[in-house]
Amino acid sequence: MLSSSYRVLVQAGIVLILLGLWEAAVFSGLADTRTLPPPSEIAIHIVALLGDQDVLYNLWITSAQVGLAFLIVAPVGVAIGLLLGEHEYIGRAFRPFFYFLAGVPKSVFLPVFILTFGIGFTQKVAFGIFQAIFVLVISAIAAVGSVSPTLIKVARSYGANRWQLYSQIFLPAMMPVVIEGMRLGMIFNITGVVFAEMYVARAGIGHMIATWGMSFQMPQLFAGIFLTAFLSIAVNEVLRWYERRVDKWRK
Amino acid sequence: MAEVTDSMAHAPISSEKFDLSVEQVSLHFETPNGVLKAVDEVSFGVETGRFVGLVGPSGCGKSSLLLMMAGLQKATFGDIIVEGEPLTGPRPQDVGVIFQESSLLPWKTASENVEFPLALRGVDKAERKQLATDMLKLVGLSGFEDRHPFELSGGMKQRVSIARGFCQDPRILLMDEPFAALDEQTRMTLGDELLRIWEGHRKTVVFVTHSLTEAVYLCDDVIVMSAQPGRILERIEIDLPRPRTYETMATADFGRLRDRIWRLIRGSE
Ligand SMILES: Nc1ncnc2c1ncn2[C@@H]1O[C@H](COP(=O)(O)OP(=O)(O)O)[C@@H](O)[C@H]1O
Ligand SMILES: [Mg+2]
Repeated sequence: MLSSSYRVLVQAGIVLILLGLWEAAVFSGLADTRTLPPPSEIAIHIVALLGDQDVLYNLWITSAQVGLAFLIVAPVGVAIGLLLGEHEYIGRAFRPFFYFLAGVPKSVFLPVFILTFGIGFTQKVAFGIFQAIFVLVISAIAAVGSVSPTLIKVARSYGANRWQLYSQIFLPAMMPVVIEGMRLGMIFNITGVVFAEMYVARAGIGHMIATWGMSFQMPQLFAGIFLTAFLSIAVNEVLRWYERRVDKWRK
Repeated sequence: MAEVTDSMAHAPISSEKFDLSVEQVSLHFETPNGVLKAVDEVSFGVETGRFVGLVGPSGCGKSSLLLMMAGLQKATFGDIIVEGEPLTGPRPQDVGVIFQESSLLPWKTASENVEFPLALRGVDKAERKQLATDMLKLVGLSGFEDRHPFELSGGMKQRVSIARGFCQDPRILLMDEPFAALDEQTRMTLGDELLRIWEGHRKTVVFVTHSLTEAVYLCDDVIVMSAQPGRILERIEIDLPRPRTYETMATADFGRLRDRIWRLIRGSE
């Protein structure tokens, strides 16, 4: 316990030193304040942004889009992956599509999404889903492969039907691998939503960041970047915490 | 006379007096080197309440045979008759399987594992919980109901598997080397416990093992198989009195029976 709190102390120290160096670089004139504001100024702006109704509204919009996209893509992606991984014929027919498409950068499809869904909430959610679904499906397929054949035999010998096999054996056995996939999927999802907001939107933190950038409001821009980063890290950590809980029995 | 022969020919298959009857069963696998005869025209019957062992060199098709008897694997030729009807798939009321190891669902507690066959059948929570508690007590695991498999030793896990098998309550229990991964001492203890529970429930048991001592100690009959293609060499009746104890193993009869099986297996290789 001592060593772990010691480690956190060291890590915090490193962050402080880096911020200090950054601050020093700006004040000594080494870095240009017009493009790189000092951390102290960014911190002030973060606090200011968090008190700004408009910013909070935009953060909420982004979170809602990310959250809704995740709520849709997580079960759908796992279900598709389960089917493709478990069902011999469907799997052999459709797996290649996912493997091929996974290698294509999804951002090139953004204009298509705009033409199809407009530039509002729906389009952001759809693009978040599109960004995340491949990694989710592929990780779910891998998760199917990690399920012990003995457990499947056990359940079948007790007369389990297909639905019971899926819900009682496959899904729980896949969980540790699937959660890892969900974590990656969430990162892709956030990237997709924020990127779509930056490209063209009426709301969202990505939209604000793009606007601040184009109007050279550097402290606001950096404050926005930090806020987005904090949010993503928090989401990632929550999923990691859940992963460790689910992972308890695997060893 | 002719009439008798005629009616004999049309009589129901001999499986009537058996709980389980394996009739001319073969299992072939297509491999790159041609057809592999994992099981080759095997026939035997198991009478109600009998404890029958299946021994033979590794790879002789014991597990394959067991999977077919459980309805988990389709025979290439032949039939498995359970309670007078050919098996076409798993029949949990009739046949249950206890596997070698790691067959517990790791995310479920000991109690939930034992309840699992009942849960699939739709038995309500309170009732199956009670049954599981009783079964775990029977295998000496009272107080461990809420432990997960990773918190149990190998021997305890197999005890849970046995409790689960008896909780499913099929007429016939198939066991595929259930004690193979355990140390000698644990395996002896578990063998004795299995016999004790079996004396109480008198299920029909088919028990696969590679330990000849275990086979002679536990079984009423031992079926000896040869490797590649998997065939039955001989069926040996173990006429040692029950209950059997540690002392039984020291008797001359015990040694004689084990020797005979050993010679059969060695002769086939
Ligand atoms: N799915 C399979 N495909 C090909 N060969 C198999 C398969 N399952 C088992 N075999 C082969 O069948 C033979 C019998 O296997 P098994 O029943 O596991 O033997 P045992 O349990 O007696 O050790 C072995 O030679 C094994 O390699
Ligand atoms: Mg085997």
